[in-house]
Amino acid sequence: MNKILTTEKRSITLFYAREGSASWLAHLDMMRLFERALNRAKWPVSWSEQAYNPRPDIVFALPVGCGIETCLDPVEVTLNLDGASFMAKQSVDTLNMVFPPGVRVVAFEETLLQKKSLMARVVAAKYRFNVPGIGNAMIKTFVDGQPVFVERLRKNKKVVVDIAPRILSVDDVQEDCVVLTGGAGSVGHLRIDLVLDALVRDGGLDHGAALGARVTRLQVFLDELPTDQCIIV
Amino acid sequence: MNRYDEPNYRAMLRQMQKPARYTGGELHAVDKRPQFFTIDPQDRVHFALCFPDLYEIGMSNLAIQILYDILNQHESTFCERCFAPAPDMRAYLKTHRLPLTSLETRTPLSEFDMVGISLHYELAYTSVLEMLYLGGIPLESADRGESDPIVVAGGPIACNLEPITPFLDVILLGEGEVALPEIVEAMRENKRSGSSRHDFLVAVSQIPGVYVPSFYSVDYHEDGTVREIKPIEPTAPHQVKKRVIRDLNCAHLPVTPVLPNIEVVHDRIVMEVFRGCARGCRFCQAGFTYRPMRERDKNTLFDAANKLIRNTGCDEIGLLSLSTTDYSELEDLVRKLLPTTEAQHINLSLPSLRMDAFDFELAKQIARTRRAGLTFAPEAGTQRLRDVINKNITEDDMITTAKTAFMNGWSRIKLYFMLGLPTETDEDIDGIAALSRQIIALWDDLPRDVRPKRVHITVSTSFFIPKPFTPFQWSRQISQDEMHEKQKRLANKLSDRRVSFQWHEFESSVMEAVLSRGDRRLAPIIKHAWQSGCYLDAWHEYFRWDLWQEALDMIDGGTDFYTRERPLDEIFPWDHLDIGVTRSFLRDEWQKSKRAETTCACFERCSACGCQTYETGVCQGHGN
Repeated sequence: MNKILTTEKRSITLFYAREGSASWLAHLDMMRLFERALNRAKWPVSWSEQAYNPRPDIVFALPVGCGIETCLDPVEVTLNLDGASFMAKQSVDTLNMVFPPGVRVVAFEETLLQKKSLMARVVAAKYRFNVPGIGNAMIKTFVDGQPVFVERLRKNKKVVVDIAPRILSVDDVQEDCVVLTGGAGSVGHLRIDLVLDALVRDGGLDHGAALGARVTRLQVFLDELPTDQCIIV
Repeated sequence: MNRYDEPNYRAMLRQMQKPARYTGGELHAVDKRPQFFTIDPQDRVHFALCFPDLYEIGMSNLAIQILYDILNQHESTFCERCFAPAPDMRAYLKTHRLPLTSLETRTPLSEFDMVGISLHYELAYTSVLEMLYLGGIPLESADRGESDPIVVAGGPIACNLEPITPFLDVILLGEGEVALPEIVEAMRENKRSGSSRHDFLVAVSQIPGVYVPSFYSVDYHEDGTVREIKPIEPTAPHQVKKRVIRDLNCAHLPVTPVLPNIEVVHDRIVMEVFRGCARGCRFCQAGFTYRPMRERDKNTLFDAANKLIRNTGCDEIGLLSLSTTDYSELEDLVRKLLPTTEAQHINLSLPSLRMDAFDFELAKQIARTRRAGLTFAPEAGTQRLRDVINKNITEDDMITTAKTAFMNGWSRIKLYFMLGLPTETDEDIDGIAALSRQIIALWDDLPRDVRPKRVHITVSTSFFIPKPFTPFQWSRQISQDEMHEKQKRLANKLSDRRVSFQWHEFESSVMEAVLSRGDRRLAPIIKHAWQSGCYLDAWHEYFRWDLWQEALDMIDGGTDFYTRERPLDEIFPWDHLDIGVTRSFLRDEWQKSKRAETTCACFERCSACGCQTYETGVCQGHGN
């Protein structure tokens, strides 16, 4: 499905998947990877104005941790069309041809410029863990209504956090695979490494197995964007 | 050694500070696995291109990009990359008895046909040993069997790798673009015919520019100096002559470089505008070993720049050379590039500028959006000493340049100097401070409306290191006490708060001096240092002076033997190698330096250095 946009500034939300070697990139590396790929694909990306060091207008909904694969992570690109046409489907196809291996846009949606930033709209994220023995560990660790306290560092100070209420739903539990949805964004964010720490400590998950876990972020939920309206590439 | 499976691989990466150093999978990285089963194993040559430093350093290196691209153009050559692991990965590999592998297919180094090491500085020697060890390759060439890889080394310091020759099978002298594919072809022929390792070494020793160290014996006098270097294999040449590309426009210029996924030290597209240097600064090894100066045509470069921009999407492009302002078509090239770079928000960077040839109109155009600091290298504080080192810039050049810089909005100037140069006196050190004071006074005297609001001068010093194949190869390196005194003297003289002082540690300078003019007797010393834990010595945070001192104490005569001034008739450990510039020319330059006499640049007048035998570039009266 092609649309032609001619208004000066429009935004397009891309949903990307990453796997393999690309999943070991840190957030800043992903940003640079997208910037360069969009340059190669000759997208008319808008640049931040009146800045000492202008940057292209690309916003990731939720930074993804090193070693985590994604299936449908949103990233918003603002375009400066300056009266020119922009064939979204073709442009996404071109973009997919110039990504390094393991990165691909799987869906997109053209949107009007939002008042609320993409990052502020993130409410939750769904993850899949593939680790031998994780099903049992999950059942032992997260018992209905009981807190699961873990320690984490915040500004070089140890802080104790209850991660149980940050798990919004456990969507699937099998012997070697768990799917769960956790809070994400500025409030009630669930950190995946803390979940694995708790599963090792309280659920008896093997430490080495936890380190070798395959973790995939299946979806990031935005408050106003039901993903079934996206155009799947 | 154990091998990786996927969960273990993930577990390993999760414990690393920067896992993407080891995963490969970058844009334009070559994946030849599909061809693996369609090509006859005897026709395949598996080549591990190694850089003995971290990924971020190695991937910034243009030589790695060029050689990787050239070798992989042959469908039956499988060239993969391997970099020195960071200390966290090194410890993990050792603890879990895992081999060091290539990025592309995670193949241990020991399983390659050839391992090629690109060497750019002497302080990487212990990292070479570590990579060979972790890769499962016997360290000493003499201990390698028929199934072990051939270890080839090359790069800017190949002109004297004598201290590590026992660990290398083959050394490539000069430019690898032409000679390395020939070496790889010799390997393919060797595999097809089922010939021995020794047969291969004999075959490659016939290739111009190839030096097989085991085919040469070195005899020493009782005092440790070299008595004689002679070939012991009948086919080995008496002198190995450096390989040079005659027409740089025909040399490979990769337009689809591997684009790192993580930030590397020089995170930009790099384009070599010319090779070699015509200036003849007497301390500079690259200035002599890369002669003759050969330029690339501006149209070739313009086309390549457009392709590079299109293929990489990078936001910075650097024009690389030893002295970019000497490129005869620089202005035309920059003016041609600017419309493209500006329209696409691409920065154009020009490293290696000279203070006497700096074009401010050009610089203003380049830096329309950002005006970063300017860096210049006067190298010495007085005109006399600049004449000694043949750095042909005058005080007037520097003052004029600084004044114009201030009037055009630049407020930060960085000045590089060397301490401990031959014939240096206290007056020369004081001259460094005086020059920085003069530049500050210049800013003070300028009317407020034409100068920037603030001024800041950074004086950065390193210690002079005498290098092979330079006129100063006969010179001594000053002692550590002298280094300390000179540094202290300069620090005391630089009292203005608008001037900051940066300096280089003297321990690693001593190390570099010993290794750069070293001989084969240093091999056990280097091995000892490596065995005691020395690794990534070029990194300030990993350099272990205590361990190196322990190793250096094993040298007969101490480090002074290697840092001393050499008599004019002494045979050097590198005298069987020929880089084009003759020993007699270098000796004359050494004598002239003592009289503070200068020699003009090649493009002004030929000084008959010896490189005219290559009949190319500036030696033919022009740069290309």
